[in-house]
Amino acid sequence: MRSPADDFQYQPPNLLTLEGFGEALGMLRKRMAERLSPFFLDLVLVAILWVLITYGVSWIVWKEVHYSLVPTWVFLVGILETVALWESFGQSLGYRVARKTLLGESRAKPTFRQRIVYYLLFHISVFPIIGLAWKRPLHERISGLSVAHNVRGGEKPAPWYRTSSGILVALLMAAILATTFSVTIESDTWRRFLANPSKAGRIFKALVSPDFSFWQDAVFKLIETIYMAIMATLIGVLVAAPLSFFAARNLTRTPVARLFYTLIRGILSFFRSIEPIVWAIVFLVWVGPGRNPFAGFLALLIHSIADLTKLYSERLESIETGPVEAITATGGSWLSVLRYAVIPQIINPYISFSLYRWDINIRMSTIVGLVGGGGIGQLLLLLLRAQRFSQAAICVYLIAMLVWGIDTLSSRLRRYYERGRIIQEEVAEESA
Amino acid sequence: MSQPYLRFENLTKVYERGQVVALKNVSFSVEKGEFLVIIGLSGSGKSTLLRCINRLIEPSAGQIFVDGVDVTQLSSARMRRVRRKIGMIFQHFNLINRSTVLTNTLSGRLGYMSAWRSLLGLFTKEDKKLAIQNLARVGLEDKAYARADELSGGQQQRVGIARALMQNPDLLLTDEPVSALDPATSHSVMQYLEQMNQEDGVTVLASLHFLSLARRYGTRIIALKGGELMFDGSPSEIDEAKFKEIYGDEAEEVEVR
Ligand SMILES: Nc1ncnc2c1ncn2[C@@H]1O[C@H](COP(=O)(O)OP(=O)(O)OP(=O)(O)O)[C@@H](O)[C@H]1O
Ligand SMILES: [Mg+2]
Repeated sequence: MRSPADDFQYQPPNLLTLEGFGEALGMLRKRMAERLSPFFLDLVLVAILWVLITYGVSWIVWKEVHYSLVPTWVFLVGILETVALWESFGQSLGYRVARKTLLGESRAKPTFRQRIVYYLLFHISVFPIIGLAWKRPLHERISGLSVAHNVRGGEKPAPWYRTSSGILVALLMAAILATTFSVTIESDTWRRFLANPSKAGRIFKALVSPDFSFWQDAVFKLIETIYMAIMATLIGVLVAAPLSFFAARNLTRTPVARLFYTLIRGILSFFRSIEPIVWAIVFLVWVGPGRNPFAGFLALLIHSIADLTKLYSERLESIETGPVEAITATGGSWLSVLRYAVIPQIINPYISFSLYRWDINIRMSTIVGLVGGGGIGQLLLLLLRAQRFSQAAICVYLIAMLVWGIDTLSSRLRRYYERGRIIQEEVAEESA
Repeated sequence: MSQPYLRFENLTKVYERGQVVALKNVSFSVEKGEFLVIIGLSGSGKSTLLRCINRLIEPSAGQIFVDGVDVTQLSSARMRRVRRKIGMIFQHFNLINRSTVLTNTLSGRLGYMSAWRSLLGLFTKEDKKLAIQNLARVGLEDKAYARADELSGGQQQRVGIARALMQNPDLLLTDEPVSALDPATSHSVMQYLEQMNQEDGVTVLASLHFLSLARRYGTRIIALKGGELMFDGSPSEIDEAKFKEIYGDEAEEVEVR
């Protein structure tokens, strides 16, 4: 008799239903990622190595800049073939990182013949990617080899200079060192840096004799800076705190929630990847001149939201599930679970992250000001342009004091809020 | 013939796309007032079985009837109403560490409260009085305002018991309630469970690792092996041979006194 348990053994997904189709797509995606990521890693490394070597050699030999020295198609085919060879005949770095290796039937060591077959057929199934859709791609099936998990037994691993990946990494490091060294040292910036004392002298003289009569204007702008930072942090927290629940992997399990998760994560990482200084320029154009502090505030805000949501949601992802289970088991609603099991675990880290962000925003707001985003940074920019160095000196000192003050304050407060966690860990250790 | 209080029919649980079969066609029933101990090797499916009852884990197939209601079919709102009559005590206590002992105890009432009352933490006077009484019952009234993470393991488990008591449960599920505790503390915690069983008439399902504890407190024992029910009987029926069958030939019985 068939038992219900048998029905739950592995079955290929049913492609006729929407759910089964989704599942099949997911499996395909996972398989492709598993196979392609080592391949791309190897590809990128080989490409970088070639570019660096070409660059270094042509600079040293001809004093010219070249990136590949060969036509692009030769370059592309060359690195693809190198990687194919590497993955078929050696233990490539990508496979090493993924802890995979090439093995025959019942984990036998591959023979040379098998490797040749594997290499030749690699061109049919890997380069047009499509071959990877099968559970065992063509080149694996015919050669009898497959990419298996690399289990280290009792034998000692080969030293790095005996493995191809070790040699490649060493070569790469040597190439980076040689190229950067030859390119930076040879330029004459060092000479110019040391041989222009008059201008530097003026600035240093201003730094020791600041124009104190100017302090009122400077402090006024300083307050503007602080306001910008506080506003950006406050509103950032208000937006990021609820948003973080949709950006936490463990709280977004249903398909709709997962869609939100992907969307929010994607948009926010885009926002985060653009520096606040660039955002400030964008917003300056957008809101127009004369609204400078507002543009600076917007730039800080957008970064605060993106950054805080990420920090918050990572904290959410690591909450203990025990209390969540306990409150669920008492029959509490999801609101109760949130209020009694989740929020107590995250409230202090949230406060601590927000303080940290406030600290960053203060520092960032002076920099955003330097491109015209309002506050004391902008004042500093104007004074430097007008060569009023002794007045600029006052601004520099004020900024230093502010940053130092906020830094100390926020780290004190943060330690206070993190202490709860430390006590908790100590108790856990004692009772263990 | 009256129906049993709790009935499992071909309960099956398969984790992760058919990779692990944690429970396989488990069928048995439990009468009201029993103290049923579940034993079995690590990984035999004890926790899975207990968690299926209040659906912290979704069963894959089969039915579980609690007081005649098939809980596997209930909507989440209805499931909540069933859950509030089922207390649960955990191996690692699962208290809210940063909250006070009193709040932890009161959280046992959340299933009975309206959404906005629980959101604002507006527990009634009676609830608070009951919480103090229940804390007194487990000997912790003088810790009511301490933070939960400042207590010892045994004390935390007693808070867990007080929390379950707040639910006024008909059924108590406990998953290895004493395996994080020393032998003396284990007995004190087990005695509170025994008291709930005998004085309040709560049906108890407990998974335990020590056979000596199972014999001492259980009125009936079931054993799981590889997700299948392989023994069901009274504590005295487990002799040397049965023991080897349940735990394997290598096993030696360890006592907790
Ligand atoms: N979330 C999960 N995902 C996948 N497999 C799981 C999961 N939880 C448990 N399992 C598997 O199900 C089987 C039964 O696990 P279960 O936790 O019910 O055992 P147990 O009898 O409680 O063991 P222990 O005495 O160690 O607590 C085990 O093989 C385990 O690996
Ligand atoms: Mg368990």
